[in-house]
Amino acid sequence: MSSSNTERALPEVLVSMPQMGVSVAEGTVAVWHKRAGDWVQKDEIICEISTDKIDTDVPSPATGRVAELLVAEDETVPVGTPLARIATDAAPGEAHPDEQDAATAGAAAADAGAAGQATPDAGAGQGGARRVYSPVVQRIAAEHGIDLTTVAGTGRGGRVRKQDVLAVLATRDAAEPHDREPPAPPVRADAEPAAPGRDRTEPLSRMRRAIAEHMTRSLRTAAHCTTIVEADFSRVEQERKRLRSSPLPIVARAVIDALERHPALNATLEGELLTRHRNINLGIAVSLGERGLIVPVIHRAQELSVEGLAQRIRDLARQAREDGLTPDDVRGGTFTITSPGSYGAIISTPIINQPQVAILDLEAIVKRPVVVADSDGNDAIAVRPIAHLCLSWDHRALDGALAAQFLETVRGRLEREA
Amino acid sequence: MTYLQAISDGLREELRADERVFLMGEDIAVLGGAFKVTDGLAAEFGRERVIDTPLAESAIVGTAIGAAVVGMRPVCEMQFADFISCGFDQLVNVAGKMHYRQRLAVPLTIRLPSGGGFSGGPFHSQNPEAWFMHAPGLKVVAPATASDAKGLLIAAIHDPNPVLFFEHKHLYRRIKEDVAPGRFETPFAARVAREGRDLTVVAYGAMVWSALEATADLDGASIEVLDLRSLVPLDERAILHSVRKCSKLVIVDEANATCAAGAQVAALVAEHAFEHLDGPVVRVATPDVPIAFSPPLERALLPQVEQIKEACRELLEY
Repeated sequence: MSSSNTERALPEVLVSMPQMGVSVAEGTVAVWHKRAGDWVQKDEIICEISTDKIDTDVPSPATGRVAELLVAEDETVPVGTPLARIATDAAPGEAHPDEQDAATAGAAAADAGAAGQATPDAGAGQGGARRVYSPVVQRIAAEHGIDLTTVAGTGRGGRVRKQDVLAVLATRDAAEPHDREPPAPPVRADAEPAAPGRDRTEPLSRMRRAIAEHMTRSLRTAAHCTTIVEADFSRVEQERKRLRSSPLPIVARAVIDALERHPALNATLEGELLTRHRNINLGIAVSLGERGLIVPVIHRAQELSVEGLAQRIRDLARQAREDGLTPDDVRGGTFTITSPGSYGAIISTPIINQPQVAILDLEAIVKRPVVVADSDGNDAIAVRPIAHLCLSWDHRALDGALAAQFLETVRGRLEREA
Repeated sequence: MTYLQAISDGLREELRADERVFLMGEDIAVLGGAFKVTDGLAAEFGRERVIDTPLAESAIVGTAIGAAVVGMRPVCEMQFADFISCGFDQLVNVAGKMHYRQRLAVPLTIRLPSGGGFSGGPFHSQNPEAWFMHAPGLKVVAPATASDAKGLLIAAIHDPNPVLFFEHKHLYRRIKEDVAPGRFETPFAARVAREGRDLTVVAYGAMVWSALEATADLDGASIEVLDLRSLVPLDERAILHSVRKCSKLVIVDEANATCAAGAQVAALVAEHAFEHLDGPVVRVATPDVPIAFSPPLERALLPQVEQIKEACRELLEY
């Protein structure tokens, strides 16, 4: 509670920007779930905040009325900054017009005194058949406005189960598809136009905005060059089958070895300060489908074997897809690997993940005829799995000869090292 | 590689890679351990790194804490998890609170052969995980697969905290699978042993296999089996994610029911997934009695495949 002010000694609790991970200094209010005047329960989500691409819910520290929002949506403030004031001596039911309905509905059920306009729905649950509904059934029904007394139950003793309400929902949605506009319709870039003559315009999602900002800033900042080598993946393919993994962890291990030999690429450049890092914190780009892309970081990757890397990559990808990453999981990267090749691409020029100085792109492994020498030194044509390794590097931090040497080291490890 | 060999392999990899790692326990050097987990390690690494101790668990744990505090990476073996009660004070009051009181890391691993199912009686069959879940400052893991046994053991040795590693005796030579060579860490997080959408079964250790067997073909229902792997930290996100998807939950514990790991899972779900539940949370656990020597009595006490099947069937129909 804040100390006593002059006129009002209102008991008050401040909602502050929380500390999300040790390395995070500031956060952005993404969405307010409450407005000034709203009633809020302790631990109810009062707003969502985001740092880079990670979103976090902020629970209310107390029950009371939101007295004032101190930070607007999309505003970025340091950790610890007060976001809102909550008056804890307020009582529900007073003030705020929006709340009137809910409050009276609740009160009506409680003492039936006030307006006496008991809605027909209110007593439906207990009425007639004396049916009791599970929490999930009640929630789905409330969210979609389903009258549970009309739902046939297939559970024990005619109990309404989750699948019963979902079935009602499915038939209803099928029957009236145009009636209800889905909230925030996703725009599919690859989809055919939904209906002739109807274009859809909507603001970029928060993740897309973050990606847009990072990528344009990187292109503006760094002197991008891309160097490409071809590597024979015969050995990688064998190894990959043995490990039952994708080629990515094997390439990652080769990159780590190459970074140890060429530490100038395991670096970050901020302004005119170039930092060479002792630890290799390897970023791995993970596609989240239409939602976007995120780059979780394997910290101290140099300590991990291929098996260990495979495990970490799997875990981080899973966490990324389940929105389980913390801000610390996506920070501190010193080099990044991206692998759009799993979708069939054979060459691309990736954009550097700032403030790193290089990014390696693993492209699709494709069987190609190549010239090989037999043991007697005679040239012959053979079919080999080949992939392009495309390295985008920052010409401010290093030069082409080093980029080529680095790629040559990676290639050597992929083709020959056991 | 069997579950037991995977543990031996993990120990060997760490002994080779890190000279701070050493082993202590009763009969682990000359005899190679009561279950032969440490067989051959004394010959390879010497008696100074594979140390036979007196029959004194408190002294084993206490000595290891001292070594850990000065920078070593001790791995202690309890001959049976049941005997850890003699080292309880050292673990709970000294190891668990060392960092809180004095900011000293205690990178200590204790291996605890646990669990029943082979007529071992009341002193050789227990699952005392929950005693330690209740004590702040300790981590508790319990692998079900050979790969996880190795990966969790290595992660435990690398962890700066005291970690209790519960290895299930009944799995030692029953579970066999390909285990990756070299050093790798398994995260202290849950694993989806089988994906499903109608009902979630949460289990760990040997009960993961019972749960998988019980639900492999249950009238065509799609049943998810979640292997906790780590009890502290408990992977709350994975549990809630699964329960919110399936809305029905059966929890299997081989430990005595009261305050077991599964009780904590039930409490978590009641608190944070209430609005997603479509039926009561059902627990299958050992009743609060000692484990009997008699094979039929022991079978009657420990959760059996049939019992898990029945619990799932009942809840599916609910």
